[in-house]
This record gives sequence, C-alpha cells and structure tokens, in this order.
Amino acid sequence: MPPPEGGVALITGGARGIGAAITERLKADGFTTVMLGRTSGDVQADVGDAASVEAAFDEVRERFGPVLVLVNNAGERQDNIAIQMTAEQWESVIHTNLGGAFHCTRRALDDMLKARWGRIVNISSVVAERANPGQANYGAAKAGMLSLTRTIAREMARKNITCNAITPGVIETDMTTDVADKLVAGIPAGRIGRPEEIAHAVSFFCSEEAGYVNGATLAVDGAMAA
Amino acid sequence: MAVDTNEILEEIRGQLEAIKVVGGREATPESTWTELDVDSLDLVELVKALEDRYEITINDEDLKPIESVGDAIGLTVRLVEAKEGAPA
Repeated sequence: MPPPEGGVALITGGARGIGAAITERLKADGFTTVMLGRTSGDVQADVGDAASVEAAFDEVRERFGPVLVLVNNAGERQDNIAIQMTAEQWESVIHTNLGGAFHCTRRALDDMLKARWGRIVNISSVVAERANPGQANYGAAKAGMLSLTRTIAREMARKNITCNAITPGVIETDMTTDVADKLVAGIPAGRIGRPEEIAHAVSFFCSEEAGYVNGATLAVDGAMAA
Repeated sequence: MAVDTNEILEEIRGQLEAIKVVGGREATPESTWTELDVDSLDLVELVKALEDRYEITINDEDLKPIESVGDAIGLTVRLVEAKEGAPA
C-alpha cells in the first residue's frame, strides 16, 4: 500500500543487487520509487556526507515529492583483518554505511513528521550479530545500524513512524561473489539467499499492516545467525 | 501587512490538536509547554508546521527561549515581519 499524499519510497544504493530488488518490489507494491546512488540511480549523493544528502533530498522533494519510505541500503566493504586495517578503511566504511543511514534518516524524518506517517528500513547484515573476521569496520557499522534502528523507533513511534532492520545473510550480489562459496558450507539452509528474499521482508515492513512493528530486527539469513 | 496574532494562535491550537496534545485546542498565549506536556519532538513538529504556514525559518537558537504559546506567537510575528522587511 503506497504512503499517503504522494510520498515516495527512496532506496539508497538502489541501482543494483539487493537495492535493485527492493526497488522493483516496492514499485510492484504501488510505491513511487526513487533510487539514490553515488554515481547512478535517479538522484546522486555521497550518503556519508551530510551536505550531499541535504542537496539530494532537496532534489528528490522537488522532482518526486516528500520521502515517506526510506530504505537505507547503501553500503561498501573494505575487508581486512583488524591488525592490518588502515584508519582510512575503518573510517570510510563507518562513514558510508552508518553515517549514511543516519544522515538519510535524519533528513527523511522531516518529511515523515509533516506527513505523520513514515517507514524506515535499515539493511544491516548478519555480521552485526555473528562476527566475521576481516570485517571489523563493516560489522561495527552494521551493528551500529541496529542501535540506530531501535533509537529511531523509540523516538518516533508515537508519530506513526516505524524504523526496522533486516540482517541479510549471504546474498547473491556483486559484493559477495568473492565470499559466497567459502561461506555456503556454514549456512544451515545450504544455499545463499536471493535479493528478492530481502525485498520481500522490506515490503512487509513498509506495509500499512506492519504499523505496529517497530524497532524490530528480522534475520533473513537461512538461519546463519540462529 | 502585519500578521494577525489571533490567526497564529489558531494555527498553533490546530497543530497542537493534530499532534494530539491534550488541551491543545484550548491553549492560550499563557500556556507553557510544560503545562501542555509538549516535549522536544512535539515542538519540532509544531515548528515545522509554522515554518511551512508562514514561510519562515526558525533556527535552534531562536527556539531556546521559547517556553509558551505566547513566546511562539511573538517569535513567528518577529520572523514574518523580518522576512517582509527584507529586501527582495
């Protein structure tokens, strides 16, 4: 069910992989979707940069309408074991994955508060719950997103705004082609997941019927973190 | 043209009611946020509505001394007058 008063669903990092599947699913659900990417999509921004996000959201509001659904999906990986991880690798991943979710959320709340309706879905990761060597930066950022999710949920619950998170396991995307084969043996489901399976969970959180589901984390990981 | 303070009061009452503030419809200029149980998030919502309605920008600094409906009316009048007095 689409949001009220012509609002749009903004998906960060929506041009490919999980983001593209989410965009397609929300479109099929009746939402007007806008993809925000660093260099691709309908609108461009570096989500880790607050000023860049401000400008992009101004453009979205001007061209498409207020953002009443936000899916924080933009992310990057720069894996390295902690002892060899550079400060730049640490900061870049925290900046994009966690900072990006915060900046986009903060700005989207302006529109949602005015509409007195909003849905935020944060795409975290199984590594937020089950540590993966080589991903201190990525895991910390994704775990931070879960705390961000719960905080926003508590702050905004009485304003009819929900904020929930999904922790995907290993999903078939460009970002996971190098690790999928190694990890599949450790997945109880015996296979990696499909982007559409994440999109289905996002669709649920964005529905009117999920209005009382707030601050939740839904694992879509083939029981990897169970 | 000077903005009507009664109109701003009505706007604030309407917004408080929409925010589901108990007693919002009966608020007077003397009503304080504490008395109305208006918290910081309610205040943000009210401010955004006033910004949209009167095409003004209310900065965090402006908001600090605002403790009552009357304070909010006074601030809105001041910002509207400053906007109208500003060169085009």
